[in-house]
Amino acid sequence: MTAPSQGVLVQCIGNPDRRDDGAGIAVADRLAGCLPDRAKLLRRSGDMLALIDDWDDCAALVCVDAIASLGSPGTIHRLDLSCESIPSDMMPMSSHAFGLGEAIALARSLGSAPGRIVIFGVEGTDFSDGVGLSPKVSQSIDPLATRVIGEVATLLEETAHA
Amino acid sequence: MTTKTIKVDYLARVEGEGALDLHIESGKVTTANLRIFEPPRFFEAMLPGRSHKELPDIVARICGICPIAYQMSAVHAAEDAFGVTVDGQLRALRRLVYCGEWIESHALHVVMLHAPDFLGFPDAIRMAEKHGDAVRKGLALKKAGNGLMKLLGGREIHPVNIRIGGFYRIPSRAELAPMAETAKEARDHAVDLLRWVADFPIPDARHDYEFVALHHPGEYPFNEGRLVSSAGIDIDISEFDDKFEERQVAHSTALHSMIKTRGAYLTGPLARYALNYDQLPETVQSLAREAGLGTECRNPFQSIVVRTLEMVYACEEALRIIADYEPPDQASAPFEPQAGTGFGCTEAPRGICWHQYEFDADGTISAARIVPPTSQNQPSIEADIAATASGLVEEPDDVIRHACEMTIRNHDPCISCAAHFLDLSVHRA
Repeated sequence: MTAPSQGVLVQCIGNPDRRDDGAGIAVADRLAGCLPDRAKLLRRSGDMLALIDDWDDCAALVCVDAIASLGSPGTIHRLDLSCESIPSDMMPMSSHAFGLGEAIALARSLGSAPGRIVIFGVEGTDFSDGVGLSPKVSQSIDPLATRVIGEVATLLEETAHA
Repeated sequence: MTTKTIKVDYLARVEGEGALDLHIESGKVTTANLRIFEPPRFFEAMLPGRSHKELPDIVARICGICPIAYQMSAVHAAEDAFGVTVDGQLRALRRLVYCGEWIESHALHVVMLHAPDFLGFPDAIRMAEKHGDAVRKGLALKKAGNGLMKLLGGREIHPVNIRIGGFYRIPSRAELAPMAETAKEARDHAVDLLRWVADFPIPDARHDYEFVALHHPGEYPFNEGRLVSSAGIDIDISEFDDKFEERQVAHSTALHSMIKTRGAYLTGPLARYALNYDQLPETVQSLAREAGLGTECRNPFQSIVVRTLEMVYACEEALRIIADYEPPDQASAPFEPQAGTGFGCTEAPRGICWHQYEFDADGTISAARIVPPTSQNQPSIEADIAATASGLVEEPDDVIRHACEMTIRNHDPCISCAAHFLDLSVHRA
């Protein structure tokens, strides 16, 4: 899918070989073919700094990723960075590996961050080696995909009138 | 007597998990321990019983930043044991994928991890607000390096296309050709960054390191050469144990490597540059002079300049290889496994990565030894920390802590590789 220029980018992040860390990629599989023309779907893993390259021509960004369990595996969290700050635990700055929070903060410093950024995180519980989501995370994939489709529609409308 | 203890319980902007304990007694630094507590990773125990075919993919998992170093040292060792020679365009492609690794690793370290130390920023994010152009160029270089690794390695992190004898798949000329424009732009960015870092306020220091690096008569070293030192070592890589030994230390899960008769030594960009200056092309030597470097550099704080110069070199070498590329007939040299011992030593971005394997007749691995660059540099890093802290004993802990962290980052340690990383504790007595 070629992308929108100034459309909405949906980045699904994860590693399907680490069980629940594959939640983002499972959502991408559900979204394939379901997004409007001005939305672009990308699957990403690994180097978060490389994510910045994807943001060049999008007005809004939706990121989907698994997050560490807060006690309720499968629970979907929505973070709208236009009205909420990046949580401190997304900014570890502790190794060669940069996280999503750092990538967003860096893009903002460089003036290349999308105007709107919404992050969906689904709480995982099993990040061990292997394929397959845990039952509660698996059950959250369809509802999460539905919420992403709704978010994309809203963002397209907002950015069209911006 | 007053005792002062400074602890850094978690060192940032290095790879892996470790800490620093600094003990100051009566105004003198008595202990500077780089305490590596990241648990051992047991790769050397995991490999015996595995097929030689699995070797490059398993060792790639040692590091997400420098997997090519582990893969190349491993395949060279296996080829040494099996009597395989990889030459011509396959050898050139191996240098090219190594160029990719140096470019991405050096760009990450120079711009994102190390430069903020010199410019007074807590991290690259804050630095980007004032030095956005440099950060963009660093990111572009990292992308270019990753691109070479992806094209030749199948993917940029933990590549899957490296095999004993060569590659599983080699690129066509048409696939490689677009990388020339990328490498040319990357070269221009690297030259701009060299001029940027050369103007940094670089602290004065000079250390009497014994430098150790590969040396090859015809090229700046990546994959092959003799092991040489600034104090006269000149040996085949198979003779490593004659001159070097690994020692267990209580405060680190990584072994410390020493020269048997003299102790600490230094490997990495400063060593490579000093021992291989003549192997650099005149274009790169000229840029070195412009950046204020002589034919060797003994100021560890200037390692950022040498590391950036090596990025320029890697870009130029990549351009040369791409321009000369003619796809070989076979993606890998044929071979049959045989019983034996093999040695491999290649130049990871942060220094020599030495491997030894023993194989059974069917190519099953029966023994493995891996000596990563960071474990070799640990004793010199600790000596550097002691030297840095000695000049600052009356300063507040925060000043000492920052200077020590900067000193550690001079050497771009990869603690996960050594397995083996930083919290700072200063103990003042």
